[in-house]
Order: sequence, then C-alpha cells, then structure tokens
Amino acid sequence: MVSNINTKKLLIMILTVLAISLSAFFSQVSFGAGQISDVQLLARAINGEARGEPYEGQVAVGAVILNRVKSPNFPNTIAGVIYQPGAFTAVSDGQINVPIDPKSTVVKAAQDALNGWDPTYGCIYYWNPATATSKWIWSRKVVVKIGKHNFAK
Amino acid sequence: MTKNNNSYKKVRCAMENNRIGEEIINAERRKYEKNREELERSRARNRTKNVIIAILIATTIFGAYQYNTAMKLRQQLNNAYNKAFYELVDYIKNVEVTLLKAQMTSSPEMTAVVLSDVWRESFCAASNLTQLPISMGVLSNTEKFLTQVADLSKSMVKQVTYGRNINDEQMKTLEDLHKLSVNLEKGLLEMQQDLNNGNLKWENVAKEGQEEMKEVSEDMPKTFGNINEQFEEMPTLIYDGPYSEHMQNRKALGLTGDKVTENQAMENLKKFLGAGKVKSITKLSNNNNGIIDTYNFKMELANKDKDSVAEADVSVKGGHVVWYLYNREVGEKTIDVKKAMELGRKFLEEHNYPNMKESYYMQNDGVATINYAYVGDGITYYPDLIKVKVALDNGEIVGFEANGYLMNHTQRNYGTPKLTEAEAREKVIRGENIKSSGLVVIPTNYGKEILCYEFTGKVDDKDFLVYINANTGAEEDVLIIINSEEGILTM
Repeated sequence: MVSNINTKKLLIMILTVLAISLSAFFSQVSFGAGQISDVQLLARAINGEARGEPYEGQVAVGAVILNRVKSPNFPNTIAGVIYQPGAFTAVSDGQINVPIDPKSTVVKAAQDALNGWDPTYGCIYYWNPATATSKWIWSRKVVVKIGKHNFAK
Repeated sequence: MTKNNNSYKKVRCAMENNRIGEEIINAERRKYEKNREELERSRARNRTKNVIIAILIATTIFGAYQYNTAMKLRQQLNNAYNKAFYELVDYIKNVEVTLLKAQMTSSPEMTAVVLSDVWRESFCAASNLTQLPISMGVLSNTEKFLTQVADLSKSMVKQVTYGRNINDEQMKTLEDLHKLSVNLEKGLLEMQQDLNNGNLKWENVAKEGQEEMKEVSEDMPKTFGNINEQFEEMPTLIYDGPYSEHMQNRKALGLTGDKVTENQAMENLKKFLGAGKVKSITKLSNNNNGIIDTYNFKMELANKDKDSVAEADVSVKGGHVVWYLYNREVGEKTIDVKKAMELGRKFLEEHNYPNMKESYYMQNDGVATINYAYVGDGITYYPDLIKVKVALDNGEIVGFEANGYLMNHTQRNYGTPKLTEAEAREKVIRGENIKSSGLVVIPTNYGKEILCYEFTGKVDDKDFLVYINANTGAEEDVLIIINSEEGILTM
C-alpha cells in the first residue's frame, strides 16, 4: 500500500508538470500580433512596464520611450525603441502582450505622452531601485523619483 | 472405564489430529494468502512500472518535441541576428567609402549626391545595430556616432542644395568621422571573423554588460564593448539637425522670476487651480533635470468623484506651473470644441498668458487637447506653445502643459522683413486658393527659429501649409493639414 501512495503522488506530480508545460506551450502559441498604432503600441509598453504605477508615472514611462526616439543613442522609431533587444523587461518576458484592462489608464497616459506631457524633462532611463540588477544603471544621476521608478538622463 | 478411557483417548487423539489438521490447513491458508498478497503486490508493482514507463516515454517524446521547437526558434533568432550583423558590416563599409568620397567631390551637385548616400548608409547601419542582442549602454556611443553621421550628412545635403557649399571646418569634420568609421569597420571585420569560426555566440554577447567580466583572457573574441570605447572621444558635433549636441543642452529662455520656496510653489498651484478646488496637497519629490528644476506635487481635488487625484510640477525658478494632469472619467459631452477653445483661452488669460491663439486640437475620450501659440505685434510664435486639456462634459480644465512656452518665449526683434507678403506669395506655385495668414515664427527640429509668411492652399481636396522665409524667400517647410473626427493636426 505504501508503494501505491507514492505512485499516486508521483503520478500527480508528473501530470501536473505535464499540464503546466502543456499550458505554457499553448499560451505561447496562441497570442497574435495584429496591427497596432503608435498609441496602442506605447500603451501596451506602459501596461507591461508600469500598470501599477500612479498616472504620472505611466505618462513618465511613455515619455522616456519618446525621449529615446529623439536621442542619438537609441533607435529612431517608437517600435525600434520598444523592441530593441534587452531594452525593456516587459518586452523580453512578454508582458507587453498582456491585454489592456478596459478600466486601465494606460491608453490615456500614452496619449498624454504623445501630446507632449513629459514629467521627466527628457529622461532616457528609468529603473526600479528595489529590483534593478544592472550595476551600470546606478551610475546615472537620478533626475526625479516618480512612484516606484527612478528616472535619469 | 477402560472402554470409556479408550474412547476418551480416541476422542482426544481425534481432537489432536483435528487440531494438527487445522493447524496445517491454517498454515497452508496463510501460505496461500501470503503468496496471493505477494502476487498482487508484484502485479501492482508491475502496473506502476508500466504507468511510469509510459509517462516517461510520453514526457521524453514531448520534451524532445519541445527541445526541437526551441532549437528551431533559437536558430531563427540567431539567423536574424546574423543577418542584422552582416548587413551592419556592409553598411559600415559603405559609410566609410562614401565619407571618403564626400571629401573628393568638386561640384555641389555631386557633393549632395554622395552625402545623401552617407545619410542612407549610416541610417541603415544604425537601424541594424539596434537589432543586435546587446545590453543597454554597451553600444550607445557607436549608435550615437551612426545617428549623428546620418543626421549631419542630411543637414549638409540641405545646406548644399540651398546653395551654401561645405566649408573647411565641415570638411575637417568629415575627415575625422571617416577615421572613426575606418576603426569601426576594422573592429567589426574582426568580429565577423569570430562569428565565422564560431568563437562568437549571440547568447554570450547578450550577457556582456549585465555582469562585470571576471576574467578577460587573451584569446577571448573581440567584443562590442571594445568597439564602443573608440567613440568615447568622438568630436562634439554641432550642426542644424535634431541629434546635434546643442539640442541636448538647451536653456529655458521663458523661465523668468526669482527662486520660490516649496510653500510659495504650493500657494501658486492652489491659486492656479482656483479657490477651494484643492482639498489637500503633498510634495512628492524634487525634479533636478537641470533645464527646468521643479517641485512635484500630488493633490486631492474637492470633487464629488472619489478618485480625484491630480499631479503637477511647479518650477523652482519663478514658481510657474509647468504642467498639470487630472485624469478622471469624463461624462456625456455637453460642450463642443469651439466652446472648449474659448474656455481654454479664458483660462490662459486669467493665468497671465494673454495673447494666446489656438491652432490645432485633438479629441480623445471626451477631452479636447488644444494647442495655443503666443501672438505678439501681429506675429504668431509657434515655438511658444501651451497645451490645455478641456473636459467636454463640463468644461473643466483637466490638463496644462507650458514646456514649449517656458523653453522658448523671449523678446525677439525681427525688424521689418525683407520680403513683402505679395513677394512671398509669388513663391508659392502649387495648389489652389492660396491665402496668407500673415507672419509667423516657426521652430525647427534643431532649435533655430525662422520668420516666415504662412500660406494655406489646397491640392486634390487636401489642405496644406507652406512657409516662405520672410527674409530670404526660401521655402522652409510644407505641412499637410489632417482634418479628422479626432481633430485638426498637421503632419
């Protein structure tokens, strides 16, 4: 009987692992990338990077993306900046594909950023001091702290 | 007795026999049951074994399939990286050659042709560079070099086509940039070699910069970090383009007044939003951006709405409200855009911004965002820009942004333009219904302002704007007016 219980446990474990890997596999396949405009793309990036942040912090993240477009050190288009390899964790881990909650303010924040509101005054970097792993980023001088993020030029 | 005794013995014997028999039977039964149990147990063990084997086979097949898919995806990714890299090397070769050629041309026409090749090749190189999986910061100098070469050559093309030749100083710059491009090409060709013989792997490149290199061995392939170091002493490039160095360090010309304290700034903000509107106010942080240093405030507004939090920045110098944002749900539309424009203008007049004229607007989610430009002595100054957001449900001001005004507004003295409006009108030869809207000052993407005559016209039902330089007669800009449900915009 003892061996039977162990077998059951083993079975359940293997099945769970199978189920998890299967669901991960299918969820990877099922998202589709349609045509999204600048506002939508920017809103998705803000959603992935700053959906829990105050409204000002969401506008600020959108502004940083737009400031990068204007900076010589970065790609010259919004899509180029957002999809630059390794530039944003939300792009690397697929958070950018998370559907936008209809009640969310990220689309409005993207619109305000595109209309010229920039609480960072030209910043091109931001990071969360609690989770940032790159040592290099700490060498930048902090311009302003908004919500959980530090912003820098 | 004996008989009895005998029968008693017999009975006892029989009982004894019986007992032995029972014991034997019991023993047999136990043996049998033990065997059966063992048999069942071994059967169960076999079943378990079979199930585990089946699951193992299934997971192995599934795993192999997953591994195969992952490898295929990885290969595709590596192929994309390789393509971007090989194209980058080709484009850099062309940048190097065309930068050299540009120093050898004689006619302005050929100079313009060659420089536009430099522009195209360096633009494409920059675009490929940013597709490589390289950590933040590792290649930023190289990216800057390529973007500025593209931008500079574009501005030189414009200069030459407008009749001014490349001067000696600019020639020297081209020479310096060519030297840098030679080094860049050399570095990339060495990396290409490493890529060809398998010493360079993209997954290793991606790690560069994320962690400090512990050991740098002699035979380690040349990496992007080494290439980037060459550009640390790049000449400072100042020219008429958006990526020019002077655009990174601009001063706020319109920021007037003395330093204010945090409390004064708070009072200014309360006054700005109107008496009784602000329920509570807290300073969140100081913004030390070096251009317009500000106090950053969060406010609770005295609205019925329970979610009525607004944010704003007030400048340390002069105590001006730089921007304000109040994000709220907007109800049913009760006013039109025309009325909203009036309300916005009135708001500006009441807050020390008289003489502001509305130009373009956008409508999203029940809010109109309206652009206002400063008008002085009959000239419209487009760089002195203020944006006001008006909620179309009750006309409340829900946003304000004066960065353009505070950066650019200053006393200008243009004097009398050399061209009259009629002379400028003759320069516009395309389109119908050409009408003048008078003198305007337009911004350029390189920070300079130009005094122009503004004309509107129509080509195939499309409205457009043309800007003719009021002193030289040069056509400085053409804009298309986009008239949609969402608003009026120019492109």
